[in-house]
Amino acid sequence: MSIAIAPQPARRLSAAVRGVPASVLLSFVVVIIVVLWSVVPGLFTSYSAVVANPAAKFLAPSAQHWFGTDSLGRDEYARIVHGAGPSVGTALVAVGIGLFAGGLIGLAAGFIGGWVDAVLGRLVDTLLAIPGFLLAVVVVTGLGFDTLNAAIATGVSSVAIFARLMRAEVMKIRHSVFVESSYLQGGFRGYVLFRHVLPNAYRSVLALAVLQLGSAIIVIAALAFLGYGSPPPASDWGLLVADGQAYATAPWLIYGPAIVIVLTVLSINRISRWLRKTS
Amino acid sequence: MTDVAVLATDQLPGGAPGSWPRGRPYFVYALQRLAQAVVVIVLAYALSFVLITVLPGNAIATVLGNPQTGLSPAQIKNVESYYGVSKPVIVQLWLSLSRFVRGQLGVSLVTHQTVTSLIAGALPYTLKLAGTALVVALVLAAVIAYGTQYLPGKWARSVLRAAPSLFLSVPNFVIGLLLIHEFSFQLHIFDVLDPNNPVGTFFAALALAIPICAPLAEVLIANLDHESRQEYVLVARSRGLTQAKLFARHLVKPSMLPAVTIAALIVGELMGGAVITEEVFGRNGIGSVMYQAVSTQDTPVLQGVVALATVVFVVVNLLADLVAPLLDPRVRLSGGGRREVAAA
Repeated sequence: MSIAIAPQPARRLSAAVRGVPASVLLSFVVVIIVVLWSVVPGLFTSYSAVVANPAAKFLAPSAQHWFGTDSLGRDEYARIVHGAGPSVGTALVAVGIGLFAGGLIGLAAGFIGGWVDAVLGRLVDTLLAIPGFLLAVVVVTGLGFDTLNAAIATGVSSVAIFARLMRAEVMKIRHSVFVESSYLQGGFRGYVLFRHVLPNAYRSVLALAVLQLGSAIIVIAALAFLGYGSPPPASDWGLLVADGQAYATAPWLIYGPAIVIVLTVLSINRISRWLRKTS
Repeated sequence: MTDVAVLATDQLPGGAPGSWPRGRPYFVYALQRLAQAVVVIVLAYALSFVLITVLPGNAIATVLGNPQTGLSPAQIKNVESYYGVSKPVIVQLWLSLSRFVRGQLGVSLVTHQTVTSLIAGALPYTLKLAGTALVVALVLAAVIAYGTQYLPGKWARSVLRAAPSLFLSVPNFVIGLLLIHEFSFQLHIFDVLDPNNPVGTFFAALALAIPICAPLAEVLIANLDHESRQEYVLVARSRGLTQAKLFARHLVKPSMLPAVTIAALIVGELMGGAVITEEVFGRNGIGSVMYQAVSTQDTPVLQGVVALATVVFVVVNLLADLVAPLLDPRVRLSGGGRREVAAA
């Protein structure tokens, strides 16, 4: 029995992969590697990300140290791998906050309408009036410097974008013929919401969420770069770049984390673009 | 290719510009947008006040309590009563807001200068940087868009088409550091220790401009794709217009409207990016004033900078909204939002 079933998932996988552009597949590989880094960093490197080794200071990239070593002799690759969680995992938290809070606001504004829409609309306008990155800086200043707070700040600064898109989608669906006919057939508001509005709105909101994931990684890295994340020995990618800034003779300390950030965000943006094209 | 730009327009305060409802006189629309902008500025000030002054606990008292401020007890008392530190939050907000409406932003807790004079001193540097960056971004976007249409070789054109999404994926502090490393440390084209000389300003502006030109280039490319398929282009070509002249005379103009409408978005990005770029290049300016204020918990300065950024951002958006209907008669006729215009 098990022998007969076993090949099926593999076949399904190959069928799903066919027709997907090579660059998208490559992007998925990059994202999966980075996700694994953040979940089980110990599997990818035997070096410690925090223990100093003064005998191995400023070693250039080599077979032993792929990305070289830093001013305390720590393996830069190990620091990057261990920094994946606070750099990418937190971006998921940020997008989650934006998606949940913004989605809820947009849903309430679009679905209930009336004065609820008017009040929430002003709230969204107010959030949008402060330029995004400055809002994130202000929120993280209020909450205190910490990587998780930086993620919350990034999420808060994206709430309004999600709210606006969700509201637009809900309004579009609410006034469509099939929703009207559902009401005519005696559908309750709640039934219409879960049966028609949400299933139709989630696609474009999800596409925005993937797009926001890339920019959340950049914003969180920028906050860490400015020192608004967790202090060293944390190894958030933005913090690693900031550390490398001090040592002009060891450019790999900038290039290593910088290349990893760019590849990760590039891959996520590629996937997001592909999702929007196919959906 | 428009999708990023269309999504980006969702990030503007006050909705998509040009969302001027049909049948309403222009000046009524203009007055309503103006009133809305004023309300939004006041609400945003209140929001940032809550985030900056209320959320971290009593930051003003903490900073003043530090013996290093060198203030006498009488002076501390003076400052505390100025900000109403011991009064309820709502009274503090009212004090701060009523001063803000009169153009007063308070006094720095660290340097004891007025916030307005601090900002006025830093503003020229940031204006120079942001202005240069804006020009560089416009030129870069135009060059990229032109290249995607006319560059010889399909391969080169598709590489240029990928450029905007690459630019969106690189944090601007990374661009700044790479520029410093390659052009200052390696090639000695400019001196990082003298960040305000013209060459240094150019490279700082380049770092700021690269992520900003991406959405602009995407919109231009999408519009050029659309316009170059139009029949008038064929007619113009058959009358002997060169490609460069055609691009300059006929193709750029129809692409202006979407470019104006995302200009507001770009201004927001410029202000956020200035904080990082000024820090990376060690420049003076509003961004570095803000950075200092955050690290020293100088809440009145932080509040003032955020208020300034908000006012600039909202006003630029307002102007874009007011100009958009005048630029394109289609907006006036159809009363449609920008989405239709951008997609048209």
